[in-house]
Amino acid sequence: MWLKKRYLLRHGDEQVTATIARNGGGLAVQLDDGPLRPVDAAMVMNGRALSLRLGNRSHLVHLTHRAEPGRLEATAVGRFLDLLVVDELRALALDTEAGGAAGGVLKAEIPGVVVDVLVEPGAIVAKGDPVMIVEAMKMQNELVAPTAGTVVEVPAAKGQSVNAGQTLMVIEAHEG
Amino acid sequence: MTAKPKPFDKVLVANRGEIAVRVIQGLREAGLASVAVYSDADRTALHVLAADEAVRLGPAPASESYLDTARILAAAKETGAGAVHPGYGFLAENAAFARACETAGLVFIGPTPESIELMGNKLAARRLMLESGVPVIPGTSEAVREPEAALAAAREIGLPVLLKAAAGGGGKGMRVVRDEQELASALRQTMGEAKAAFGDDSVFVERFIDDPKHIEVQVLGDGAGNVVHLFERECSVQRRHQKVIEESPSPSLTDAQRAAICAAAVRTARAVDYRNAGTVEFILAPDGGFYFLEMNTRLQVEHPITELVVGVDLVLAQLQVARGEGLPWRQEDLIQRGWAIEFRIYAEDPARNFAPSIGRITSLHAPTGPAVRLDTGVYEGFDVPIHYDPLLAKLVVWGENRGRAIARGKRALSECVLHGPGHNIPFHLWALDRPEFVDGSYTTHFIEEAFDPADFLDPLPAEDREALLTAAALFEAERRLSVVKTPDPSAACPQEEQQKTMTNWRRTGLRAMTGRD
Repeated sequence: MWLKKRYLLRHGDEQVTATIARNGGGLAVQLDDGPLRPVDAAMVMNGRALSLRLGNRSHLVHLTHRAEPGRLEATAVGRFLDLLVVDELRALALDTEAGGAAGGVLKAEIPGVVVDVLVEPGAIVAKGDPVMIVEAMKMQNELVAPTAGTVVEVPAAKGQSVNAGQTLMVIEAHEG
Repeated sequence: MTAKPKPFDKVLVANRGEIAVRVIQGLREAGLASVAVYSDADRTALHVLAADEAVRLGPAPASESYLDTARILAAAKETGAGAVHPGYGFLAENAAFARACETAGLVFIGPTPESIELMGNKLAARRLMLESGVPVIPGTSEAVREPEAALAAAREIGLPVLLKAAAGGGGKGMRVVRDEQELASALRQTMGEAKAAFGDDSVFVERFIDDPKHIEVQVLGDGAGNVVHLFERECSVQRRHQKVIEESPSPSLTDAQRAAICAAAVRTARAVDYRNAGTVEFILAPDGGFYFLEMNTRLQVEHPITELVVGVDLVLAQLQVARGEGLPWRQEDLIQRGWAIEFRIYAEDPARNFAPSIGRITSLHAPTGPAVRLDTGVYEGFDVPIHYDPLLAKLVVWGENRGRAIARGKRALSECVLHGPGHNIPFHLWALDRPEFVDGSYTTHFIEEAFDPADFLDPLPAEDREALLTAAALFEAERRLSVVKTPDPSAACPQEEQQKTMTNWRRTGLRAMTGRD
């Protein structure tokens, strides 16, 4: 089963979409509309650098998380980049929250099919926990809890087709 | 010079940061015990970790810690240190401190208080240089108080002129005058500034040199009239009088100029029977003339490039002189070999107009390999405090010639990783590609003229950009998805395994994903 996941990378004014696709040991990455390129990646240096082979070309990229979520410092060949990396759906969820909506409702952003529901009503989730996989536009997207809390309702079932804007899950936010 | 100094086997290092670490390393090599002193902000600083003993001085502000003579002397007494090394900055050029050390029976690893005092007074130093036949910038030897006197001096010297506070330093109390009309008001303002900043309104007038280069000469004296020089350094890459890149030799001197400037430096040091390592700074004018600027009576930040090119250890030499054992070398033994460049790594962000940056160093990788030296005062996990100099480390490279030193500098800078505080490594890589730097024609105006904080980085090569973005996405995804393999040393044939994965990927993966054959 192919699992795809999209990330938005922001660097200064620039924004790039990175699509990560994986299947077993195979891994490929697509930047914006560029080609989907197989990548051989290994975590090195105690989890603080990635060795990449794109084709046979070898790259060493040092990476450090900053205090804010999704904020990374990345270094290769003397270039230091400050990046904000958020997965696409979380970015949408964060935007919704910022718009003032109640944080606990997970909605489908685009039409798709529910491939898997990872939590049941009553489950306690942390913000950002994966809760559902929805296939949309031939891509499997992992949806995450928009807020920490208790799952109170899962109107969408495995195998079900959902429309944009349809409620997939309701989470009752924990106080504090 | 009187009797031999008292022998010592333990030295208190009255400093912090990379220079304190450098001195402690020298002490260890010399078989001497070391005492670090620290402020509350520096309990876990590298110099404290590196020393044999460490004594708290006081709160974070330097005035209550690294500048507090009484506390430093008490720390020396408490630990039984027999000598004090002041490093650079803080109390290194404070004659009262040197005197207090001597009074307390401690060997001050530096010059006599008299030398410090003399060289600290620009007018007095200038007069002495004139007497000693060291070229000084044409100008008045006495303070100028009246506009008429300033005008007469300016006409004799030739415009433009520089009005300069006798007690000034670091660019304060200086004013360039290009027009006779401006002279009277400029004099009034400079005297006012000098009075306010230094409590002394003595101002003198000297020729202002457009497009100067900063050349300095390393000397070592034994205090008994014996002085050797260790050739020159060029430090023209400066920002607001703060040096950023230094190199040795200077690419700007002919052999004859080099001989003349080094001889002048030796005359300078001999004029005060100089003891210790010191640096005589000169301005090199575009017409090839050079003029005495000042003498720094201490070990200099950029001393490592001299160490690499001449093949000496200046801290060990300081110790030998301080023990009263004389100079370690004869002049004829000292030669320059190859080329060295120092890059000062400051916690200053060039993209934000060199705004200082603080915070925890979250990742630090030092470059390695042939002829690469890193003098550092920090380590991974250290919180860079706000209270002190933003110098984190100095990367120094040596090459057989200037071209190779530049190439090695680029290579070593590219290997550096420093995450957390903003820093100027990208600036250094920028500078090494500038034609003015490559051909050696840069002057002290180089940064202000050529550097644009908003736009100094070339676009990343496409391959590197792709790798950086890909890695960042994978790194973030890794938090939850475990997409990346971590090498397993117990795997029988990891390479074959990897190959198989890649082959499978090619065979089935792309097709499955794109729906195409």
